[in-house]
Amino acid sequence: MSNAEDIRWVTQVALLGDKKAFDKLTCKYQSSIRRFFLNLTMGDSQLSDDLAQETFIKAYLNISTFKGISGFSTWLYRIAYNVFYDSTRARKHYDDIDNDIIDYQHQTFNEFSSEKMDIHKALKILRKEEQTAVLLFYMEDKTHKDIARIMNCPLGTAKTYILKGKEKLSVYLKQAGYEN
Amino acid sequence: MKTNETDIILKKFFSDQKQEITDNGFSRRVAQRLPEQKDRTWIVWAFAIVGMTISLLLGISSGLLQNLMANMIHIPINYLISGVFCFPLVGTACYYFFQRKQYSLI
Repeated sequence: MSNAEDIRWVTQVALLGDKKAFDKLTCKYQSSIRRFFLNLTMGDSQLSDDLAQETFIKAYLNISTFKGISGFSTWLYRIAYNVFYDSTRARKHYDDIDNDIIDYQHQTFNEFSSEKMDIHKALKILRKEEQTAVLLFYMEDKTHKDIARIMNCPLGTAKTYILKGKEKLSVYLKQAGYEN
Repeated sequence: MKTNETDIILKKFFSDQKQEITDNGFSRRVAQRLPEQKDRTWIVWAFAIVGMTISLLLGISSGLLQNLMANMIHIPINYLISGVFCFPLVGTACYYFFQRKQYSLI
């Protein structure tokens, strides 16, 4: 599936408001965007699906602002990143309830919980920015440059997030007995 | 742990945890929530009709079309047939060449 194909679909959506073309883009990227949110929300599948829906709707509404400098996928992750941090900021107002209880409840009732406990435990030791950068680099195979674009930060800062995250995770995995 | 070794371990750790999420109606739910926008597919047809009309008018007024028709009569039929078949063949070959990654069987 090529970048040229993405550009063709984006053009159809932007110029003609073609919903079928946008549906093709949604089908193509739904898995990676939902997985990204699922890991950032520590396995809350309901919340991650809501955030992913919001991401795609925002992408549809603002598709004319896509300039094609980076790939469509990078642009979509940029929106996803903003949606996630907006939602995090909004939810900080409701943080009276113990976060651990919420995490426990969501992890218990979502379909991925048993397989994802390890990764969520590992990600929890990182700062939010490090989590994002590490996930994008190691799981979504994004380059440093793309990560800097997605997180809207200088290239050096993105590299630092990845490096720090890597150091913390390597210690954690060693202690947890995870080896190659 | 060396950086390279750490990278390999982390790559493996994350790829072990990586999984494709099935759609399960997600795309349909997104499509249902998309705001209505005006259907602008008529723009394509409008431009096509305007373009063809202008071409025809210019062709007729300059006498180009009449000349073309007159010359076509004198062109051997073999040349005409090979000319007509050449376009789709070359076009298809070019298309598959530029989209070869998508259609690669390997």
